[in-house]
Amino acid sequence: MSFISSIFSGIWSFLKRISKNKAGFLGFIGLVIYFFVTFIMPSFVEFDDEANLDEITGPIGSRIVLAVNVDDADRYHTLEDLAGKTVGVVTQTGGPTFIEPYEDTLTVEEFSWSSRREGPGIQAALVALANKEIDAMLIFSKSVTEFIDNQEDPELRQLFEDNIVISNPTLGPSHLLGTDTQGRDIASHIVHGGRLLILTAVLGGLISTAIALVLGSLAALFGGVLDNVLTAITNLILAIPRFPLLVVLAGLISFDNTLFLGVLIGLLGWPALMRAIRAQVLSLRERDFVEAAQSLGLSTGHIMMREILPNMISFVAINLIFSITFAMYEQIGLVVLGLAPISDYTWGVMLYFGRTRGTLFNADGASMALSPVLAIALFQVCLVLFARALEEVFDPRLRSAV
Amino acid sequence: MISETPDVIAATGQASMVDRLYDSVMNIYRNHTFRVTIQAIITVWAVITFTFFLIRLMPGNPIDVLVEQIMVAEGIPYQDAYDRVAASFDFDPDASAIDQYFDWFSDVLRLDLGTSITSPGTRVVDEIARFLPWTLFAVGTGLLVSFVLGIVLGMMMAYYRNSPLDHILSLFASFMTGIPNYIWGLLIVIVLGIQFNLFNVGALRGTYDVSTTPGFNLPFIKSAFEHAFLPIVTYVVSTLGGWMLNMKSSTMSVLNDDYVNVAEARGLKDSRIITAYVGRNAALPLFTQLTISIGFVLGSGVVIEEIFVYWGLGHYLFASITTRDYTSMQGVFVILVITVVFANLIADLTYGFLDPRVRVSGQK
Amino acid sequence: MNQKMNDDVVLRVDDLSIVYRTKRGNVQATTDISFDLKRGEAMALIGESGSGKTTVSLSLIRKLPKNALVTKGQVLYQREGNVRDVLKLSKRQLREFRWKDCAMVFQGSQNAFNPVLKIRKQFEDTARAHGWTDKEAVRQRALELLRLVRLDPERVYEAYPHELSGGMKQRTLLALGVLLNPQVVILDEPTTALDILTQRAIIDVLNDMQKKLNFSIIFISHDLSLAAEMADIVATVYAGEIVEIGPVNDIFYDPQHPYTHGLLTSVPKLDHEQDLLTSIKGAPPNLITPPSGCKFHPRCPYVTEKCSVDGPPLAGDKPEHLAACWHKDALLKAREELAQEVAQ
Ligand SMILES: Nc1ncnc2c1ncn2[C@@H]1O[C@H](COP(=O)(O)OP(=O)(O)OP(=O)(O)O)[C@@H](O)[C@H]1O
Ligand SMILES: [Mg+2]
Repeated sequence: MSFISSIFSGIWSFLKRISKNKAGFLGFIGLVIYFFVTFIMPSFVEFDDEANLDEITGPIGSRIVLAVNVDDADRYHTLEDLAGKTVGVVTQTGGPTFIEPYEDTLTVEEFSWSSRREGPGIQAALVALANKEIDAMLIFSKSVTEFIDNQEDPELRQLFEDNIVISNPTLGPSHLLGTDTQGRDIASHIVHGGRLLILTAVLGGLISTAIALVLGSLAALFGGVLDNVLTAITNLILAIPRFPLLVVLAGLISFDNTLFLGVLIGLLGWPALMRAIRAQVLSLRERDFVEAAQSLGLSTGHIMMREILPNMISFVAINLIFSITFAMYEQIGLVVLGLAPISDYTWGVMLYFGRTRGTLFNADGASMALSPVLAIALFQVCLVLFARALEEVFDPRLRSAV
Repeated sequence: MISETPDVIAATGQASMVDRLYDSVMNIYRNHTFRVTIQAIITVWAVITFTFFLIRLMPGNPIDVLVEQIMVAEGIPYQDAYDRVAASFDFDPDASAIDQYFDWFSDVLRLDLGTSITSPGTRVVDEIARFLPWTLFAVGTGLLVSFVLGIVLGMMMAYYRNSPLDHILSLFASFMTGIPNYIWGLLIVIVLGIQFNLFNVGALRGTYDVSTTPGFNLPFIKSAFEHAFLPIVTYVVSTLGGWMLNMKSSTMSVLNDDYVNVAEARGLKDSRIITAYVGRNAALPLFTQLTISIGFVLGSGVVIEEIFVYWGLGHYLFASITTRDYTSMQGVFVILVITVVFANLIADLTYGFLDPRVRVSGQK
Repeated sequence: MNQKMNDDVVLRVDDLSIVYRTKRGNVQATTDISFDLKRGEAMALIGESGSGKTTVSLSLIRKLPKNALVTKGQVLYQREGNVRDVLKLSKRQLREFRWKDCAMVFQGSQNAFNPVLKIRKQFEDTARAHGWTDKEAVRQRALELLRLVRLDPERVYEAYPHELSGGMKQRTLLALGVLLNPQVVILDEPTTALDILTQRAIIDVLNDMQKKLNFSIIFISHDLSLAAEMADIVATVYAGEIVEIGPVNDIFYDPQHPYTHGLLTSVPKLDHEQDLLTSIKGAPPNLITPPSGCKFHPRCPYVTEKCSVDGPPLAGDKPEHLAACWHKDALLKAREELAQEVAQ
């Protein structure tokens, strides 16, 4: 019982210390949220794998907006609900939008769209919809809301406002972050796409930190030839730019397992940290309490475990976080280039598809690329803020390796 | 050395000769310029050797893969296929592994990196010579700008520490360092390029406007800068935060140093104190970090150049990997490492030039 | 507050009080300090650690830490008949004043030189900052001064700071200190952290230079024998106040304040018996809540009720030798007894 309460009081005092640093506290809260979203939410949110819009073509990356009459707005959630109704369709390209399977169930009325966005297509469709000449309207752009808002004719505007509901951008329940090129819910991908990525990065970070810790302390404690050799090797590896090396390795061996990639990244990622840890151990060794232990004839192993390591815990922890950010950087970088496994649908893979499917360059499709971009960016920022706060809170004298 | 018997004395006499020799060798070694140059040479050697083993001796290495591919594709016997591959990689198929190694080594030193596999007849060196300058241009400019900017902003943060300015800049810096550089690149494309339509990302592909003639003329230089602008901005944004934070802490410790205090008591002008007394000393530790940064930024060019479709060395490396052009890949990698080592050497030597304490004695 | 100063007074400190604002309260670092410094005169400030010596000297060039506040007083410099209050100078005037009128060698200033600039550059910087741009003239002057401090001028002038030893740096700093012919040079423990021989050399150099260049010195030291050797005037500082001030011989042979006396007797002298070495009992007072009356009274062997109520004024029979104590007689008697004991 007292053990548990001491853990709680430990956590409490830690929170109190970290909350002094506002940015760090923000980072900490962010990480807690990330943990919740990526590790707990997947049990409640289903991964949306139903490519329900595969058969509908439209400009790449555009989001599909469903506009319906006010009266029966909540009846239409899926394409199936629209069976037998007349659906007006407007696309930017003006080309055919529905492909066979739907034509059996829906009556399609096409409204052509000029090359300019303000073309008569939307207007005509909206008027038809407001007058209840058609039951619903599909539009492959988010600009329909803007279009209604910017409507200058007061009469039309009134008509639209009274009669039209826009569920944007949707077929089915509304999507927080919109849908991807296949009409799948991006938010569900974000929820599911973090865990493996984070675990792999943590694995990589742990491996490089462990190697750095072992080699760094060995070099510092034993000195002499061992130190020289280890330092020389470290400097050598440090001279090779790591990312191109990974890229080349990816070209030679094809990485087909995300965790294996994490291990490899970990195996290559230790040199900078090793140098920092070596310096840290060297300076700790000079301190009084270590010298006292040495003069008592305690073994090197004992001194390392009992005297030096406890004094480096925060330093190692902080650098572990930085290692994790680096491992993540490299992993996602490889994925973005398409050189790492894309079978697991992570944020990196979302980014990869967002890029290869051209949504990057389409204003309406931005969410597909922007969502993972922000997920990754904010996660990394949270880690960095948190680590810097730890640095300040625990020991301002300790400087991180990077 | 304490000697007790006469013959030991004789021995120590000799030993001290050896010692003195050792001392003078060590003295030369401690010479900063000499030491960093030697280290650079050793590194280059090690990397060239490493690449040799990577390409030839690893299980599943490209040579075996290629030989097999050609055998299957063209139905020719192993020896013929092997000879073809050997010709591309430019090694003597009959020589022993050791001879091949020395051959490879001397080839690399003569900058002979073989010919491309996918487009036969193209020498890899020529391709690299085409792409490398652009990468150096973009990365070099980016690093220079961010280094200078980081020093200035970092000093401002230190001088106005705990002011709102400091807090805001610190937060910015954490964002800048925290977000990976390719994410910055994507953000720039998506948000500034597409959403706000500030520039036409599509038109900025490549390294310069083909309608201009390369050379020392204004339209060409302008278009080169335009095309490199986004990669440069990305390099700057992603590295700036690090410089700022480092410069801030470094400046704060220098501000506590006696000589700054004394300089004020000497009645020196603030501008002189800030530049030659505070700035110069505070920037010194950043030069050591520059060496790590150069490799990192050059390496990250592979993704950045892909994102902006900037045709530099990284783009070439990626292209050769996707087409499995192993000779090109090997060549780019070697050149990339040599470039990094060389850039580090320059940074190191500059450091020696800026800090007289390491110039001769090597002790810091 | 006598604005009229004799021609030979170069520095007058008038009722100077300084507090440091800290989290735990205001530290009353100096209280009502006043003294005159004459041309060519050397004055020593002696006192325990924390008594406020550095604070006084820093205020003379207005180089106090940011949390310090001058609550009262003036620091007047006289040059060619002009009297200026340093505390009222504009930023620009202050910059020009520093080093030209008053140079300071800081406490423990082993790192007084910018490590990345040659000594030559640092001399030139100093000269240029005060409008002296002729590098050759600066060089001639610097070499002459370096020779005066007994260094190899050519070598030192072209050296980087790290190529000089601690003592050499200190002497170079002395040379730099007098580069602009200041009227006053402040030396805050210039010899601590140096070995005895180097200390000696520096003191010799200093005496030598002062004779040749005729500047005034404010000399701060823990080492009373050095103070005795260097100074013409000695001021004893206790808890931020000058408790006794006078010519060096008067102070050393006829101390009128129990604290001065305590300081002197706590120095082991070769010709005295070891057991006579009486150090002052107790610890220096907390300056956030200083004792009432005479600040020394909690530690004073001659304390009476009056001491804890009223602070004694700085006064004396001779105008040049003043002490702030109610019980000078008691001290005199005790000293006589002590002398007898020694004699026996
Ligand atoms: N920056 C500061 N902030 C707060 N208090 C200070 C500061 N500097 C000095 N003090 C306090 O002011 C008093 C006088 O300090 P000062 O440095 O003048 O003493 P000192 O006589 O020079 O001592 P020492 O012989 O050790 O150099 C001390 O009590 C000290 O604690
Ligand atoms: Mg002092």
